[in-house]
Amino acid sequence: MNLELTVNGKTQSMQCEDRTLLVDLLREQIGLTGTHVGCDTSQCGCCTVHLDGQAVKSCTVLAAQADGSSITTIEGLAHGDALHPVQQAFSACHGLQCGYCTPGMIMASTDLLRRHPDPTDEQIREGLAGNLCRCTGYVNIVAAVKQAASLMRAAGSQSA
Amino acid sequence: MNTATFTPSRVEDLRLVTGRGRYTADWNLPGQLHAHMVRSDRAHALVRGIDTSAAKASPGVVAILTADDVKAAGYTDIPTGAPVKTADGSMQVKCAMPVLATDRVRFVGQPIAMVIAESARAAQDAAEQIMVDYEDLVSVTSMDAARRPGAPELHGVAAGNLSAVAIAGDEAAVAAAFARATMTTTLSMDSQRLAVAPMELRACLVDYDASADRYTVYTPTQGMLGMRGSLSQISGVTGDKIQVIAEDVGGSFGLRGGSASEQALLMLAARRLGKPVKWVSSRSEHFTSEWHGRALRLIGHIALDAQHNILAIRWEHQADLGAYTCYFQAFIGTRNLSVTMGGVYRIPALFARQELIFTNTAPVSAYRGAGRPDIAYAIERLIDQAAAEHGIDPVELRRRNFIPNDAFPYTTANGTVYDSGDFDGTMSKALVMADYAGFAARRDEAARRGKLRGIGFGCYLEASGAGGAPKDVVRAKFAADGRIDVFGVTGSSGQGHETSFAQIVADGLGVSPAAIRYRASDPSQELVGNGTGGSRSLYGAGSACKMLAARILELARAAAARALDAAPESLQYVDGGFQTGSATSDPGKRIGLLELAGKLARSADGAHPLDCEGEAVSGATFPNGCHVAEVEIDPQTGVTEVIAYNAVDDLGTVISPQLVQGQVHGGVLQGAGQVFGEQIIYDDDTGQLLTGSFMDYPMPRVGWVPNIRNDYNPVPTTLNALGAKGVGESGCSGSLPALVNAMSAALRSRGVPPMNMPFTPARVWEALSERAG
Repeated sequence: MNLELTVNGKTQSMQCEDRTLLVDLLREQIGLTGTHVGCDTSQCGCCTVHLDGQAVKSCTVLAAQADGSSITTIEGLAHGDALHPVQQAFSACHGLQCGYCTPGMIMASTDLLRRHPDPTDEQIREGLAGNLCRCTGYVNIVAAVKQAASLMRAAGSQSA
Repeated sequence: MNTATFTPSRVEDLRLVTGRGRYTADWNLPGQLHAHMVRSDRAHALVRGIDTSAAKASPGVVAILTADDVKAAGYTDIPTGAPVKTADGSMQVKCAMPVLATDRVRFVGQPIAMVIAESARAAQDAAEQIMVDYEDLVSVTSMDAARRPGAPELHGVAAGNLSAVAIAGDEAAVAAAFARATMTTTLSMDSQRLAVAPMELRACLVDYDASADRYTVYTPTQGMLGMRGSLSQISGVTGDKIQVIAEDVGGSFGLRGGSASEQALLMLAARRLGKPVKWVSSRSEHFTSEWHGRALRLIGHIALDAQHNILAIRWEHQADLGAYTCYFQAFIGTRNLSVTMGGVYRIPALFARQELIFTNTAPVSAYRGAGRPDIAYAIERLIDQAAAEHGIDPVELRRRNFIPNDAFPYTTANGTVYDSGDFDGTMSKALVMADYAGFAARRDEAARRGKLRGIGFGCYLEASGAGGAPKDVVRAKFAADGRIDVFGVTGSSGQGHETSFAQIVADGLGVSPAAIRYRASDPSQELVGNGTGGSRSLYGAGSACKMLAARILELARAAAARALDAAPESLQYVDGGFQTGSATSDPGKRIGLLELAGKLARSADGAHPLDCEGEAVSGATFPNGCHVAEVEIDPQTGVTEVIAYNAVDDLGTVISPQLVQGQVHGGVLQGAGQVFGEQIIYDDDTGQLLTGSFMDYPMPRVGWVPNIRNDYNPVPTTLNALGAKGVGESGCSGSLPALVNAMSAALRSRGVPPMNMPFTPARVWEALSERAG
């Protein structure tokens, strides 16, 4: 089938098999390997991307369902050399070790912060309940989300 | 804030937070083919035949490999590792796993065939058309079932499904101690079977260069030498013709030490087909076919005198090996348990009897600690149970029996020498952190809210890995861009080697860490060293990095003397440079190390006069600590909340505090995963795996242990150049006993007898309901 979608700001047309998952389209056809696959059952969240501004697990979306949509992956989050505050906070707080879950964690966290700019612990837990990490123990991930929230609020109040 | 000027915490971070890391599945080569595995769906069966005809005709299929192809290529079985000695002095019975099953399958998930096609989907479609003609046999998926008289045997050579019975310690001395004991306590504890579950799935891509007869193997690994060695052993291809590449590895935890079937099969396929071949596992395959962890039963008997001095501990251990022998496996249920089987206590007599048992399950190998957290858990739980049964405060019982500081170096009853520690001081610090004195009031307050509150201790000690290689060597190569490349063999799977090792070399040279690049594989492949494992990478390869810096300065001094026209011994090394004056304010003639390196001419082959190696011999150390957990159970639902978690660790010298804290956090949560949720379950009748996905296997999630407070009571070791004791496995070793002792204390208050992990809400609720009913 034929598709047209905008990935990280670039609109492209492509062909794929009907059964192609969005994650496979991103990784194999577009070459954006920052989006990872960690399970077969939509539990791990490694493949989280933004589809029209909302976090989705791209292993659970058919490429066909994304036709006409705008997608942001981890590769499209930074503005040039300037990291997104969530990316920066994950590093600053040591919220990553092996880094495999990290792209999905960051994409889920940015969506969580869009919904809750000043999240409670409970809101962070709920927002990241669908993302697994085997290395960090999550303590520093929660700290990173909080730090990112305050960076983003500070930036927001400056621009306002 | 200008994020463009942000400096990442680790060298690794920038690429990993922007999606530019390169894990194995991210690699692709032109013209590559794709593989899919056919696995046994039976726990125990004879294989009468494999019909591949329909699959061969499936679109896009290029080849199908079965056991006949493996045999024709002269490949041997999966390596079994060093054997353990049995009680009668003979060697254990080893039963190696064939790369592909021949006439019999012994666990669900065992590899039977590999289909290679033009796309991964074509390979999968074809694999589903392969018909295996099975004749079912009765399976035994638990150690109890396997040891029952008359049980079906997996291997003709292993009578009663026993691979070995090993012993350690002095049986007679322990019997004598029990004969004069005033009090005894016995407790049976399972450390249940777990999935290792790194987030990156196993993957492999092999390229064969016929002109050089050389294989390039992209696959996640803990250390290239372990992976290359096992591939060489299976394939018969000498190690110098196998290049292993693992740029980023998405977690390992003991799992990625060597090759499994798939990597070897891809070597075979790439050579035969003349094209690169790639395979990426599914999570389902991870659960069924990759090595599992833990799977131990630990039965402890402790003897006390009238003053609560510990007289002896006797252990009976059973280790479930799964269906086949694999590397590391034999040591988990034997040496790794017995080496520290007295923990942090002065115990005059120790003995262990250990059975290694085959079952129709996935083979068991190393998982974070590989027996070390299990024995720490068992000792600390046995101590708590004894304290409860005999009416003494668990803190007091520990304090009375700690090895005192003036006893180091201390030789345990079974001959292990602990070099250093301050066990009482470490626990005392933890007691303050955890406000142990205020616990009774907190418990009473919780009770008024209808909650059961418990506090538990884990005063763990573990033996870090001595390493299989005789030494660790790292090599410096001065690059044309003015930086120093440092090569070693130990591979990171999240530990941050690029950051830590660069820091050690940079500190030794007095230059910026940005001037040093660590790489976990050396193209010349001549280095000796250990892979990551046994909590030893930092002090093993890290010590070598420290020696490397010293060697560089030794070579550079002579060159600097020539450049400055001064006597070598007259030069001072200050802030990254040689100078004739002694002070920063009055340096005299001076040349920076990196400036000097830039001026020195390269030889014709590109070698730099300062290129050199550093090496270190670093044996086992004894990281230890005291972790204190406080939990609250809602008896109405069985749901537990971890209210507080305090950890005081003696890890010796800490090099990178943020990374060390991260290791402790991660280890604590992996322990929490085992305590509160994780468990691999096979169906007793069919031998099928019931927990084959993250839907059925509860991984620890955000918030399971919401706050972890860390502190240290470092007693640097003299056993390596850094004074570091290692950290990788300590978190699990502390958290298993601390959390379970806290749960047990809370449940004991309602009369619940000791129960096994995992403490899921359903199991906790059921245990409480049984007492109430």
